[in-house]
Amino acid sequence: MIETLLLVLVCIIIGGILSSLAVHLMPVGGAPAAMATATGIATGCVMLMTGAAVTGLFTASTVASFWATNPSVILVALSGAVGAMLMMGFTMFVANLIYIFGAGVVPCSGRVAVDPITRESQTEYKTPRTDGHGVPTVSYVSGILGGFSGGFGGALIYVVLVSDSYAHFSVATAGIVAMGIFIANAIIAAYNIGGTIEGFHDPKFKARIRTGLTCALIVSVLCGVIVVIAMLTGTLVGGVM
Amino acid sequence: MGEEEAKEEKAKPKEEFKLSFDYFNESRLGIFALIIGALIAIFPGLPAFIEGIGMIIVFAWGADSVRKTARYGLGTGVPSIGVLAVGFGIVGGIAGIAIASTHFGTLVVGGVEIAFGVLAGVALLALLGFVSGNLANGDKFIDMKIPGLERGMTELGIAGTLAVLIETSILAGTYHITKVLPNVVNNGLIAAIFILSAFGMLQPYNTCLGADERRGRTLLMSIEIGGIASIILGIAATLTLSAVEGVPLIVLGAVVWVAYYRAYMKACMEEAYATPGTGLIKTLGG
Repeated sequence: MIETLLLVLVCIIIGGILSSLAVHLMPVGGAPAAMATATGIATGCVMLMTGAAVTGLFTASTVASFWATNPSVILVALSGAVGAMLMMGFTMFVANLIYIFGAGVVPCSGRVAVDPITRESQTEYKTPRTDGHGVPTVSYVSGILGGFSGGFGGALIYVVLVSDSYAHFSVATAGIVAMGIFIANAIIAAYNIGGTIEGFHDPKFKARIRTGLTCALIVSVLCGVIVVIAMLTGTLVGGVM
Repeated sequence: MGEEEAKEEKAKPKEEFKLSFDYFNESRLGIFALIIGALIAIFPGLPAFIEGIGMIIVFAWGADSVRKTARYGLGTGVPSIGVLAVGFGIVGGIAGIAIASTHFGTLVVGGVEIAFGVLAGVALLALLGFVSGNLANGDKFIDMKIPGLERGMTELGIAGTLAVLIETSILAGTYHITKVLPNVVNNGLIAAIFILSAFGMLQPYNTCLGADERRGRTLLMSIEIGGIASIILGIAATLTLSAVEGVPLIVLGAVVWVAYYRAYMKACMEEAYATPGTGLIKTLGG
């Protein structure tokens, strides 16, 4: 019993830290990106990450329903990661289509002079007095990695809550609790970023990632303790249908 | 001339506007909403329309807390803090319901259910909100430099949990997990609860923010959204429980919505410098 509780707590903490890391990897442009004057997708961290993570939860819950009992934790978590990666990929691809063919800008990074992946120079393509445009290659790769991390984290929380060898909540309870914990971590991470970020190559990433992960650790421990208390009452177990 | 006119414009709405939130300043509204919300939350068997009134008061408190913290600029938009409140609320609500479903979490006195257990969920989320507020504002952590963010996040944790709990009791009529799971969680209504509570808290300040934002006007909109939420929950309660519970809630919601929509539009018309009508929506005397 005590090992199960500890395992659930550890999985919630890992999931929370991974979701915080995911938000730091997103190419988020905010309001300036809506006018194509900043690199990234034109929305807030929370909206982007919640969209990706909920898609991940859908794929994860579908894959978890393949097993009658005891779903494989690692396979379900990976399928959540794949769902979130696909969602991030489509979002960034369509955003780039609109930026390139609609707004007529060249995707380029505003924070680095040379793309660390393709080794192509960025500064010539950046319109003066803007902060980059669109989603360049390095931001795209970073966004896909963020989708992997966030989807894996969200689905990991979901699968330990739904699996009958761990918490054994009903499917809907596990899904909504996983979403609640994910959102709490994602928003604290979004406050840590404070607006826009381009991806792992952004100087902001290196400067703030440690604070972000520390905060995610503390918030996830508390969320995990609350979930463990709910498990200890024994009333949620069994998933009454 | 311009200055005098501007002064008159500013002084006018306070006198003409009848429903004032001057008595309910930020602290008084918080204490009032906490007491009323907690009292309504521990009696899940109350008629749905009384719980609807409690939900509207809790929404107003949440919207006031969002206003208090978001006016200094969060960097990620106002919606994030409202969604954070309900994200907390879902975790606390499920924990509170789980504790209330145990045999020591609920007392039955003369056939009336008194669910003290849910208050444990509220207290845990107050702690989580306080810790996250300290993380977000602490100079060793994120250092957002927003005055009163610790208090704001504590209040949002409590308000989010109370909103989720009260809405659950409207739809299930009890906190017993065998009723809550089929009536609220497993049929997906919990997702509607999530987004309705988030809108009740984040939408008022998100719509009204700006240089001439006024607290009374912003709170009018939160009560109006409470009315819309009551209508939606009333329809859902008619399906999950019975028309006896649902229909009075729908009527309450419709009355609140119409009354506060009129009051909000009137306040906007009076406080704006000029309001040209587009003809798309029939505005009141505009």
